[in-house]
Amino acid sequence: MTPERDPPFRPMAVLLPLRPREPEPLPRVTTRHGLLFVTAVLLIATVAHAQAPDAPAAAPAAEALTQAPATALTVIIKWLPLLMKGFLFNILISVLAMALGTVAGLMLGLAQISQHRWLRQFAWVTTQFFRNAPWLVLLFFAMFMIPYQFTVFGYVIPFPDWVKAIIGFGLPVMANVAELLRGAIRSIPNGQWEAAESLAFSRNKTLWLIILPQCVKRMLPPWMNLYSLITMATVMANLVGVSEMLTLTAEVHAAEGGRPELLAPLYGFAMLCFFIYCWPIDRATQYLERRFHVKT
Amino acid sequence: MKKLIIGSIALLLAGAAPAAADVMEQVKQRGTLVVGVKADYKPFGFRDPSGTVVGIEPDLAADIAKRLGVKLELVPVVASNRIEFLNQGKIDLLIATMSDKPERRRSVLAVDPQYYSDSVNVLMNKKAKYTNWEDLKGKTLCATSGSFYNKDVAEKYGVQIKAFDGSDKPLFALKQGECIGYLYDQTFVQGKLLDDEWKSGYHMPLPGILETPWIMAVKNGEDGFQKFLSETTIDWFKNGTVVEEEQKWGIQPTDYSLRMRDKHKG
Repeated sequence: MTPERDPPFRPMAVLLPLRPREPEPLPRVTTRHGLLFVTAVLLIATVAHAQAPDAPAAAPAAEALTQAPATALTVIIKWLPLLMKGFLFNILISVLAMALGTVAGLMLGLAQISQHRWLRQFAWVTTQFFRNAPWLVLLFFAMFMIPYQFTVFGYVIPFPDWVKAIIGFGLPVMANVAELLRGAIRSIPNGQWEAAESLAFSRNKTLWLIILPQCVKRMLPPWMNLYSLITMATVMANLVGVSEMLTLTAEVHAAEGGRPELLAPLYGFAMLCFFIYCWPIDRATQYLERRFHVKT
Repeated sequence: MKKLIIGSIALLLAGAAPAAADVMEQVKQRGTLVVGVKADYKPFGFRDPSGTVVGIEPDLAADIAKRLGVKLELVPVVASNRIEFLNQGKIDLLIATMSDKPERRRSVLAVDPQYYSDSVNVLMNKKAKYTNWEDLKGKTLCATSGSFYNKDVAEKYGVQIKAFDGSDKPLFALKQGECIGYLYDQTFVQGKLLDDEWKSGYHMPLPGILETPWIMAVKNGEDGFQKFLSETTIDWFKNGTVVEEEQKWGIQPTDYSLRMRDKHKG
C-alpha cells in the first residue's frame, strides 16, 4: 500500500462580498495637454519653416516691422485683420447654424415621439436621412439648389452664400439634435410618466413640466460637443466659395506669392485659432458631463 | 417642419423661374454690376491686406461698370462654382481666368474676341539666356507632371523634361539646379517673377507658345450684353488697355495682348 500523499495545498475558498469593480480611470485631458499641443504646433511650424528651400533669414525685430521682408510672422501680422474677419465669419456661421438646427431639431425630435403615426414616421425618416448624409453633400445641396435671391410679394430678398452655408450646416445639426432629444426623453425612467399620469397630468403637461426639463441637462454636454464639431466643420464652406477663414488663408498665401515656406505657418495659424476657440468648449463639456452625470 | 418643406419647395420653384429681362437692363436698374473674379491668382485677381480684391481682372470689371454707368460689386469665385454662379444669376459676368474650352462654350455664352491669353513659357535661370525655343535642344527643363504640353514641347524642341507633382516641387528642383528652367503656364511664371525671391535670379526670356485664350462669359441667351462686351474688348485692344494693365501690375505684356493691340489699332 502506497503511503497516502497529502493533497496539494489549496487556499480555502472564501466567498468575498460582491463588490462592483472600480472603473479604470480614463486619462483626462488637462491644461497641460493643451499647452503641449500648442508647443508641438509651433515646433512643427518652425521645423517646416527651417526646412523650406532658401528660407530668408529672420530679420531683426525692429526692421521686420518697418520693411517686412516677409517672414512668416510678419506675413501673419500683416494679414491678421483679414484673417480674423474670416474667423469671425466661421463663428457666425457656426452659431447661427447651431441656433437654426437646434430649433428645427427640437421640433423634429418632439415630432418623433408624437402620437400621430404619420408625423412620427415622417420625422423619423427626415432624421435618419439628414443624420446619415455627409455634411459636405448637404452643404453642396444647400449651395447650389437654393437660389441666390427670391422674390416675395415684390420684395427681393437676397440669399447670400453665408445664409446658404448656415442652412447647409443647420440640416445635420437639426437631425442630430432631434436624436439627442429623442434619446434624452427615452432615458427618463418610465415610472415618471406613470407617476405623472396617476397625478392626473395630461400628456402635454407631463412632457413640458416633468420630462423636458430633465432632458435639458442630459442634452447639454452632447449638444456642446456637436457645436464644437460644427465649428470645426465650417471650414468646409471654403469648397463652395464662402469667404471664410480657410478660403482667405489660401488667398493670402496666393497674394504672398504662394511661397511654400509660408504654407505651414499660415495654415498652422488657422488651426491654432480653431483650437483656441474649441478647446475651452470641450473643457466645459467635460465639466458639465461630470457635473450632470446621471446615475441610473 | 411641413411649413419648412413647403417653404423650401417654394424657394426652389422661385429659383427655377427663368429671368426674362435682359441682364444689361437689370444691371442698370439695380445700379450695380456684379462680376465674378478670382481672388487667389496673382496678379489677375488677389486680395490686398484690407480684404479688397484687386488686380487686372477687377480693373477690367471696373472699366465695364464705368462704361455702363453703374457701381461695381466683385464676388470671389473658384473654378468649381463660377459657372453655377453665372447660371444662377448671382453674378452678371465672369472674368475669372477661365480658359476657352468647347464644353464651357456650351454651358455659358463666351465673349469674342477673348480678352486675354495664357500660354506656355519657361521660368529660366538668369545664367541661361535662350531667346529661341529651338536653342533649348538637349537642355533639361523641370515641369509639372500631367501638364498637357510636356510631351509636345519635349518632342518638338528636343527638350529633356523632368516632371514633378504640383508646382512647388519643380520650383524647388529649379532652385537646386536640377534644370535650367521650369516649363509651366506663362501667367504663373509672371506671377512668380513679381516676387523678390524669384525676380533676382530668374527671368522669362522666351516668347510664349501654345496660346490658351481666356474668355469672359455671360449667361446663355444674353446676346445683347455679349455684344456690348465684345465691343468693349475690341475697344480695350484699340486703346491698349490690356497692355497698360499688364504693365501696371508689373508683368511683361504677353504676345497676345501686344498682337491684339496692334491688330485693332490700325
